[in-house]
Amino acid sequence: MGYKKIFNVALGLTLIVTGVGVSCVFASDPPPEGETGSVAVRLFLTEGAVPADDPNAAVWNTIEPAEFKLAPQVHWPDRIQEVTVKSVNVRGVHNGQDMAILLEYADPSEDAADAAAVEFMVGDKMAHFAHGQEMLQVEGGDVNIWYWKKEHGKATDMTAKGFKTLRPQENQDVSASGFWRDGTWRVVFSRPLQTPDELDVQVTPGEWRNVAFAFWDGEIVDGAVKEKGSQKAVSSWWYIRAEPPPDNSIYGYVVLGIVLAAGFEFFLVRKIRRGNES
Amino acid sequence: MKGPLAKTAILLVGMYVFLKFILPLFTAPLPASLIFLYLALTFASAMIFYTMSGGGLDEFMGPVGRFLTGSGQAGIAGTARILVFILFPLLVGWQAYTRLAPSDMPPAENRTIHPAPPGEFVGLANPYPRTQENIMMGKGLYAAFCSPCHGANFDGKGPAAVGFNPPPANFSDPGTIAQLQESYLFWRIKKGGVGLPVEAMPWKSAMPRWEVELPDEWIWKIIMGEYDGAGQSPRTWEEEE
Repeated sequence: MGYKKIFNVALGLTLIVTGVGVSCVFASDPPPEGETGSVAVRLFLTEGAVPADDPNAAVWNTIEPAEFKLAPQVHWPDRIQEVTVKSVNVRGVHNGQDMAILLEYADPSEDAADAAAVEFMVGDKMAHFAHGQEMLQVEGGDVNIWYWKKEHGKATDMTAKGFKTLRPQENQDVSASGFWRDGTWRVVFSRPLQTPDELDVQVTPGEWRNVAFAFWDGEIVDGAVKEKGSQKAVSSWWYIRAEPPPDNSIYGYVVLGIVLAAGFEFFLVRKIRRGNES
Repeated sequence: MKGPLAKTAILLVGMYVFLKFILPLFTAPLPASLIFLYLALTFASAMIFYTMSGGGLDEFMGPVGRFLTGSGQAGIAGTARILVFILFPLLVGWQAYTRLAPSDMPPAENRTIHPAPPGEFVGLANPYPRTQENIMMGKGLYAAFCSPCHGANFDGKGPAAVGFNPPPANFSDPGTIAQLQESYLFWRIKKGGVGLPVEAMPWKSAMPRWEVELPDEWIWKIIMGEYDGAGQSPRTWEEEE
């Protein structure tokens, strides 16, 4: 091989590396962040037990939280216009069997009636974020709500499909634990990814689900609890997904694609050359 | 650079520059898929033109064949040929990877912002006269019921707006109520988010179904107050103008 040929190959490789690098930079659009926060919760895949019932486990500090802004509930008539909890930081992990979701939010006082909830769509039917409220042109589905209240000290696994239909499920599959310090609640919910209960959200790694959050400030003001029932802070629907295990078969398909493309080139050139000779 | 292939290449580059950079100076930028479609049509037209007139397919494809077989090539052309032969399989591999790699992105949402209203809400006229008194009453009702989300300044920036996705409509934007008829607003306020059709994703809307709480008269007056406060006029049928 002459110097000229070696130079040509080296030049070609340099250009390829530069080209691929440039295309990577331009191809990867920034993630579609909401105007004021995140759009999805990622349940990171870990080995070993998930930190169920431990809002202060070390693993939580290793995870970048997703932040969701909250608004007063306005959909139902029994509404208030100011809420205490303005935003929530959400972290999640799973180990292929169980998942744990940590909600971290500011609330200046620790009160018996402080409460937090995570809501999911169940199955394939879309459900309105206000407790699966009836929609007029779309047949909606159920929502599954995991509710935690400080004075209960545990989670309640609930189902709803519209106004006044919220009820605890027969099968209680969720556990929860809260810890308050210096004006911040850390509440962790945990559950197996899959349950036999058809009223539950089923979480399959790699698949997107819809999730929403709600919070109540249970402070007593003038003899009454400040936020209760539909007087609460809520989020819209956002996305949640359990991270799938790494799939190395992809690289096999990449190699197959490269080999097929190279083979195509070889046969194309051979065909053209034979055509020219004949 | 006189062959038909070179001319086609120049035409395609020129077309791309025009569609991508010059056209957006006068109108909205074209989506990449549309630019690709126009370039494909340009290429097809060029192929048809050159293969129908004169030299035919051989003249058009000849340079491609000579390039691929490397006959009589040296220097930059030789380098480019090697480059193409290495780059093409890598691009195929890259495409395979990006198609198969699990995405961290949530599903894309194509939500229709102004879907068609149900038939019974088309063409209704506001039954209340546009008097100063009615407008003032509408603004008062707006302040009480609508402004927490849609904002005291009709700009969609009320104190509760930040938490909602989709965000509350900004009425001062010429793309919202100025494009709509009063009857459309009457439908949207009366039936709320849950009244939207599937393409507008009703499950995400926080807009209350106000017919549960407000009489029709109040809704019509709120509409009047909204247009006046936002400095917009409702869209009307042309024959009415």
